[in-house]
Amino acid sequence: MTDYLQLSGVGKTFGNFTALDEIDLNIKKGEFVTFLGPSGSGKTTTLMIIAGFEAATRGTITIEGQSLAGLAPQERNIGIVFQNYALFPHKTAIENVYFPLQMRGVKKAEGLRKADEMLALVGLDGFAHRFPKELSGGQQQRVALARALVFEPDLLLLDEPLGALDKNLREQMQIEIKRIQKRLGVTTIFVTHDQSEAMSMSDRVVVFSNGKIEQAAPPLDIYHRPASRFVADFIGESNLLEATITGPGQADCHTLGQVQFLPDPAKTLGIGQAVTLLIRPEHFKLSCAEKPDRMNATIIIDTIVNYGDNALVIGHKDTTQIRMRVPGADVVILKEGDPCHICWTDDAIFVLDR
Amino acid sequence: MDRFLRWTGTAIVLFIAAPLLIVVPMSFSTSASLQFPPPGYWLGYYAQYFTDPVWLWPTANSLIIATATTILTMALVVPATFALVRHKFWGKSAANLMMMMPMAVPHIVMAVGYYSYFGALGLVHSHLGVILAHTCLSVPITFLVLSANLKGFDTTLERAARSLGASQRQTFWHVTLPILRPGLLISALFAFIQSFDETVVAIFISGRGAETLPRRMFDSIRQEADPVIAVISTLLFGAVFLGLIAPHAWRFTRRLIKKDSQ
Ligand SMILES: Nc1ncnc2c1ncn2[C@@H]1O[C@H](COP(=O)(O)OP(=O)(O)O)[C@@H](O)[C@H]1O
Ligand SMILES: [Mg+2]
Repeated sequence: MTDYLQLSGVGKTFGNFTALDEIDLNIKKGEFVTFLGPSGSGKTTTLMIIAGFEAATRGTITIEGQSLAGLAPQERNIGIVFQNYALFPHKTAIENVYFPLQMRGVKKAEGLRKADEMLALVGLDGFAHRFPKELSGGQQQRVALARALVFEPDLLLLDEPLGALDKNLREQMQIEIKRIQKRLGVTTIFVTHDQSEAMSMSDRVVVFSNGKIEQAAPPLDIYHRPASRFVADFIGESNLLEATITGPGQADCHTLGQVQFLPDPAKTLGIGQAVTLLIRPEHFKLSCAEKPDRMNATIIIDTIVNYGDNALVIGHKDTTQIRMRVPGADVVILKEGDPCHICWTDDAIFVLDR
Repeated sequence: MDRFLRWTGTAIVLFIAAPLLIVVPMSFSTSASLQFPPPGYWLGYYAQYFTDPVWLWPTANSLIIATATTILTMALVVPATFALVRHKFWGKSAANLMMMMPMAVPHIVMAVGYYSYFGALGLVHSHLGVILAHTCLSVPITFLVLSANLKGFDTTLERAARSLGASQRQTFWHVTLPILRPGLLISALFAFIQSFDETVVAIFISGRGAETLPRRMFDSIRQEADPVIAVISTLLFGAVFLGLIAPHAWRFTRRLIKKDSQ
């Protein structure tokens, strides 16, 4: 499949502050992409440039090869769901959903029928004649979604749409949005600062930091093969340990000693190069005795947080903190303040060279 | 303490309501001048108010002037408020200050100013002169009400409308205007009342040609203390009272209708 939406070299400065720095991104038709990053990293700015509310300082944006330059927001055929939903308070749910059709000159009878169908699709039949203030947060969210989809947009943009909902409703809406997006096949960009949301919903996650794209990859790649220290740190829990390369697949870790790892053919690492080793907490195993086929270390346990099915064990070796996730049943033999053997295998280590 | 507060409260309400308690009975009085308590009751002064040209002309003048003032004020203040609330430009704070000036300058000073200035322009004793002066006096309150409304307006709604295919003009008509309508109505009402109620400037410049109702009332109380003044006061009070309860009554009936249709 070819790229549907293309951003090339898109940048934005406010005065002398660079909010976006040369963004390059290609999105395929029907793809569900999330923008993930800390607050202020440029996610909203990117959306607003795509939507036509902000002008890019440089770069181009195309949909199916057609440049969006010079098109006003209303000419772009892009559906947006805003964080506060932005429902028109003086219109009922169905009037809100009918609005984009009305603007496109669709006859009232046909438009209302379509709006009604869309409300049914988002699970809101029976609420058509309520005003926004008579609807719950989740229901308003659904109206906003229906309104952004009813005119069959080329692109759907959602800017932290679930931020205001409580946890249960949030998870329900995540599933719901995903279902509707699959059903309609609309190309979607979803902005969030919640990593589990990004992980569970998307075909691809784009990690933003300081107006740059750190990495754009499928969720599991982002988790297991982060492109940078920032991504490794931002996504999930991580142990980031300083090390020096001593040979192919070998490094001298300042905390854990000599370690072996599976060399990545795509990465060229020179002997003596300083790197960071990423070991996810669940990749450390407890061991009673030293195992010859595995790498080992002994740490002192500081804190045990038991969640029932699993436990977080925080310990230290020398002055470096080590975090690990162990099955809940294993944790009963551990005591805070005691030393503890841990082991890991060579495929648990991922080398970061930036 | 509780009792003390209750009595003070009652006293204050009585003090504020006292003029009404006196004026309303006096409007039905048979006495030849303002007199309390009235010696007897009839509707003669109501009849006089609604038939005597001495009262009808000033009433018409006041209505014409207040309506024109409202239209002119809104035509000036609505665009100005959008500019001052939504945009940054050179001289913005000076413009803001100018909008509020007429509120700070005493009316008597304004009146003297208009008297000599409009005199030179030949606008004294004309409707147009009073309309222009009243518009100036109505600008600050209208601007205050409207800018408070506009500041509370969520511009994301306009962005949403644009993204849904509405042009700037359509966005204004379908989204901005309907949502701001209550604020616009209230500020227009303030402009109308400001003009209808204004006396000082009217005394200086409305003259015979454009004599307003408050000016006529003022002249009357100085000369004969005609009880028609009490009639007008009662009617005005009635109008304001209706204006206050009308929105509630409207909402109430609409709710009843909605319940019926369900
Ligand atoms: N209109 C603006 N004027 C000046 N700075 C802005 C403006 N809009 C956004 N910014 C800045 O650009 C940066 C990126 O903002 P934004 O895209 O909203 O971040 P995010 O959505 O990732 O939290 C922030 O530092 C923000 O302060
Ligand atoms: Mg944002």
